[in-house]
Amino acid sequence: MYRKQVRRRRAVLALLIVGSFVLLTVTYGSGSSGLQRGVSTIFSPVQSVLDGALKPARDLVNWFDQTFDARGRNSRLQTELQTARKQAVGASAALAENAQLRKLLSLDRSGAIPSGYEPVTGRVIARSPTVWFSDVTVDAGSDQGIQVNDPVVNGDGLVGKVSAVTGGSAQVTLIADHSSAVTAKVVPLAVQGVIRPNVGDPADLILDFIDSSKHVHKGQTVVTAGWRSEEIESRFPPNIPIGEITKASLVEQEAQQQVHVRPYADLRDLDLVQVLTGGSRE
Amino acid sequence: MILTPKILARLVAIVVLGVLLQLSFFSQVMVFHVSPDLLPVLVISLGLLGGTMSGAVTGFSVGLLLDCLLIEPLGGASLVLLATGYLAGLFRERFEIHSRLVPPLLCMGLTIFAELGFGAVELMLGADTAISGLVVRDVLIKGVYAFVLGWPIYLGLRRLLRPALVEEQALRRPRRPTVLGA
Repeated sequence: MYRKQVRRRRAVLALLIVGSFVLLTVTYGSGSSGLQRGVSTIFSPVQSVLDGALKPARDLVNWFDQTFDARGRNSRLQTELQTARKQAVGASAALAENAQLRKLLSLDRSGAIPSGYEPVTGRVIARSPTVWFSDVTVDAGSDQGIQVNDPVVNGDGLVGKVSAVTGGSAQVTLIADHSSAVTAKVVPLAVQGVIRPNVGDPADLILDFIDSSKHVHKGQTVVTAGWRSEEIESRFPPNIPIGEITKASLVEQEAQQQVHVRPYADLRDLDLVQVLTGGSRE
Repeated sequence: MILTPKILARLVAIVVLGVLLQLSFFSQVMVFHVSPDLLPVLVISLGLLGGTMSGAVTGFSVGLLLDCLLIEPLGGASLVLLATGYLAGLFRERFEIHSRLVPPLLCMGLTIFAELGFGAVELMLGADTAISGLVVRDVLIKGVYAFVLGWPIYLGLRRLLRPALVEEQALRRPRRPTVLGA
């Protein structure tokens, strides 16, 4: 009797382990499965309601964390404010010039979002609990016109791209996820590289594959490069702000340098995001 | 664990509510820049209460639901959490829980194991990027949160599943007859 029980237990355990591996093999890299779409359709409304109901409690807990943070940030922000004031004067002149040039080129564009993209606003209703995966789920999906690979931004800058979509929700892989790679350029130098994550630290990205002969400096802005060739085009439109260079170290033995970038968007604390639908979906 | 339809319904409710709470609340709050992970604690507690099979099956279910709701490749979280639940159940079957500190300590240790397991799955799926040293800090802090959450969750689940627990029934004292007028 006891042996039979042990054998049955072992069989169940083996079945679960094999089942996990089979599921992983079948579903890895294949987007959302029918099961996921079904479960997501059932639970999305519940998650939205729960998300709204728990927001005050979340805000309370986060308030404590942010208060601790704010103390340290205060002195740094004072210094940054002085620098920003100086830059703002130059930026105003540049904006005026930019507007004139846009009129001349008859480009009907406003802000950082290029024409051809239709922003769809979504609220973050879930996020991955582990430190290894950086993705969130938003309460807007293919019913709102969202497709896989659509870029996602918030008020501060680039957030990530849509990696899977169901009718009422979409999974957004953040730029801090290990699978993320975004072609980017440093302005005003227009030096190009690839933004890769530093897994586990969403406040630190790495701008890789930069030519070491081009010297970049701390404080310079990094935006999406938005390259285009004859047949294909980048998934990210050009000139979406990504972040600011915090450290630029030149490795003598290597022809490329690694640059550390602090993203403008707070990837740990996302609430409302915009999915840029339309545009290039190659 | 003695499984009746009522207990099964309770277990399903615990799993669903746990996953929804994790995604809608715990994953989105930051305490010292790290969000607590309730799910390993839930699975470990169920493993401690029900044994290896309860731990493994609940871990698999929690992981599957989590992957479905996050639209992740299915099976990764299931694999890690079923191993976590199984180990917790194995502890329960091999050793006696003499001290109140055992459940929270086990929650801490196995949560760290689960977080490292998630990392191993990620590496298995082919992560080729730099890994920050902050991961170690985050994993350890998650372990501390699991220690804090471990005892109340273990007690809550024990109370909720009391009719199904084998030890609870064996230890339950026979009620003394009330003598009227004594």
